[in-house]
Amino acid sequence: MSSIVLSPFNQTCYQLINKYFGEIVGEVAKFLLSRRYGTLFNIKTGTGMSLWDVKRALAVLIHQNLVEFQANEQNPNIVDYSIIYHNAYCLLRYAKYLYTIKRIFGSSEEVLIEILLNIGQASASNVIFHSANKLNKAIDDIKVINPSDLYQSFQKLAANNFIIRCPKIEIVENMPKLLEFEEKDKFIVPQLEMEPIAKLLREKATQIGEHSDSEIIWRVNHQRFEVELRNVILVNAAARRVDETTGKLYHLILKLWREANPTEARVSNAVSYTLVKDAVRKNDGGSPMLMEHFDQYLRVLYEDSTGLISRVGDSGGGQFAVNYADVFENFACSILDSVVLERFGSKKALRIFRLTRMQKFMTDQDQMQKLAMVSPKDAKTLSYKLMKEGFLQLHEQKKATSNVGPVKSFNLFYVNLPEVVRGVLETSYKCVSNALERQAHDLTVNKCLLERHADFENILEQLRGEDAPDNEIAEFSDSMTVADKELVAKVLKLCDRLKLVPIQADETILILENYLKFHSMP
Amino acid sequence: MAGLAAVNIKKEKIDEPRPSVSTVNDDGRSEAEIEARMLELLHQFPKGISNQILDTDMPTVDKQIKVTILNKLMSKEKVSMFKAAGTQELFWCLKSHPTSRIKGADNEERVVLGLIEEAGNKGIWTKDIRIKSSLSQATLNKVLKALEGKKVIKSVSSVSAAKKKVYMLFNLQPDRSITGGSWYSDNEFESELVDLLNHQCYRMLLQKAEVAKQKQNDGPFTVRNSSFLSSKEICQVISDLKIVKFNLTVEDIETILDTLVFEGKVEKSTTSDGNCDGQVKTYRTVEKPVSSASIVRMPCGVCPVMKKCGNVGAIQPKDCNYYGEWDD
Repeated sequence: MSSIVLSPFNQTCYQLINKYFGEIVGEVAKFLLSRRYGTLFNIKTGTGMSLWDVKRALAVLIHQNLVEFQANEQNPNIVDYSIIYHNAYCLLRYAKYLYTIKRIFGSSEEVLIEILLNIGQASASNVIFHSANKLNKAIDDIKVINPSDLYQSFQKLAANNFIIRCPKIEIVENMPKLLEFEEKDKFIVPQLEMEPIAKLLREKATQIGEHSDSEIIWRVNHQRFEVELRNVILVNAAARRVDETTGKLYHLILKLWREANPTEARVSNAVSYTLVKDAVRKNDGGSPMLMEHFDQYLRVLYEDSTGLISRVGDSGGGQFAVNYADVFENFACSILDSVVLERFGSKKALRIFRLTRMQKFMTDQDQMQKLAMVSPKDAKTLSYKLMKEGFLQLHEQKKATSNVGPVKSFNLFYVNLPEVVRGVLETSYKCVSNALERQAHDLTVNKCLLERHADFENILEQLRGEDAPDNEIAEFSDSMTVADKELVAKVLKLCDRLKLVPIQADETILILENYLKFHSMP
Repeated sequence: MAGLAAVNIKKEKIDEPRPSVSTVNDDGRSEAEIEARMLELLHQFPKGISNQILDTDMPTVDKQIKVTILNKLMSKEKVSMFKAAGTQELFWCLKSHPTSRIKGADNEERVVLGLIEEAGNKGIWTKDIRIKSSLSQATLNKVLKALEGKKVIKSVSSVSAAKKKVYMLFNLQPDRSITGGSWYSDNEFESELVDLLNHQCYRMLLQKAEVAKQKQNDGPFTVRNSSFLSSKEICQVISDLKIVKFNLTVEDIETILDTLVFEGKVEKSTTSDGNCDGQVKTYRTVEKPVSSASIVRMPCGVCPVMKKCGNVGAIQPKDCNYYGEWDD
């Protein structure tokens, strides 16, 4: 094992790759994560593994869309490999993707996405074939799944941009290069004949073999899923601020905005009042209350201080857009407030942090004490504590009196929001990587014990199933000591908790990352 | 005495007035009578008399005599002299609380007392008295002790600097800046009182919001508007509950409500009141857009030694105690 120390984000990516693909692939990934680019030879010497292993590992990573390649600048005959950092991080979100798809579409689309995530890159026929197989095994019915249904599901997914074409390989100046498709071509599904696939399914084949569209390869579109996960957070916020019906209204408006602008921008394009009203009318079955008080709901939303909607114009009854930078700034501030409250344990620290953040000018300790209604001693200790943990920043302003003798200076505090957000973001990454590491460690250290426990449980089940006499069961139960059982219970309980940690922490990370992204957009 | 700028005149020991050229002047009035007439005028015009008024009233009296009499009155501390801010004219008016009510007070004490009186209810620091009266430290201490003994002045310790003492007249209430206002008692900040009031206000606003939610069928706008409470209303209710011994002003309640705003639980908005002019501040409870950061539900999010945690060293996730004790 190489002794490379990675930054929290890179450590998280390494842990994820290690968990899902094993140690060999993990080592190669670790090397590439710490160096931006690596050639085949670099990786071999850096990790100390055989060339064969390295090649296989790279093949896996490329096929899973985790590594990309390009020609080296100095010597075009050599290939540089580099990790696609964002995709590596998105390994964390696969479970959420499946849940999202199931929620929006249904189980057949869910299976398609699951297969595509497992394989990495695949042609449409391949995905449909494997999905049909999987569904057959699950249902165990005599009737075979009709692949045309799956084909339609596949088309639906592509139409909604959840899957996207992989870049094509073209020879440019005698050099093979990866080129992205045009925007309009990225989501077009080729015409396919389902008959050959249906035939293969009837024959219970395990591989699809040769097929017409084997050159047209698809992969999962992570950006689209991120937008979807982001929308969930936005809708929840709207529902919390006002009520459930507002959440539904906001959901409809988000859809309209997405249709209005395909690219990510700081401020979305505006949609008019009439458009929103039409959409609500079409969706009338959802909530009659919404149609009745439509104006009120819209007004309450855009007067809300979180900035979920802002009114940008008056034509057509009113133009509405969203400024993502503002919205996510409010969300990020909410997150930071929560962290300050929990980490420092008192409402007073929260008051001081928020008031320093909300003031236009920098605050000194006297002001803090007066506005936050805390005792002077508390104001001093808390402001220094917050500064030490990086939530407040200090600015020293010298009093311009005499140059002789000790110079008095004002100590002014302020909050540099991007800096604080970055600090908390790093903590979040560390949360995730720590949880993964601890889980892996626990399972390896207690491996024998857990295996013994698993066998023990199996035999116990068997005995119960065979209706063995009670004293035999009791005797067998005692073969594993109480202390052991307790230890196993404790380990399993912690493991269950640790499994949820990355998924929950991802929510915070999503908000903070989006804040930084929109904040730095022009 | 609005609009008059006080002129600090150093009060020196004034000798007995010079014997005037003629004690009986042209229209036959004696000095005493003129003095009495002047006092009458001073009573008549409590805002002050100027030279003009004196001239119109007693044109025949010699200017010298008038000046002498006025000086005498000033030395008896019955009258003080001011300069008008605009015209730079001199005015004389009756002193409202003559300090010479103290019997046997000598001039030093009077001077010091005058300074303390001027400082009003903000009080004046020992050092400042010394500079202004240019008395020595020992004399000053003696004077202050004597005055305190007579219960004419008192010392109040300021809340900003615990060791600093300011002096003011005995029967004056110290100003808010010294005692710190309603939230300080015995120079200590009353955090519990603030917390209690904080709680009460928040509960009130929550109740109002609950009631407002019942009107859901009227639309969200109605719900939102009926969940607002103005600071005056809150002040009224809290005062009626009689939790605090002193009177709560609207400003006090507003400072408490501002702390709730700073905790993110309450939102403030200003609307103009139909009846009186000026803005009315209204408050209502709000939910945060994101309930709580998910990372605070795990040990790492609130770990105090996060910065020292790593793959090597004493603090590693492998043997982290916080994970071991994570019970939730």
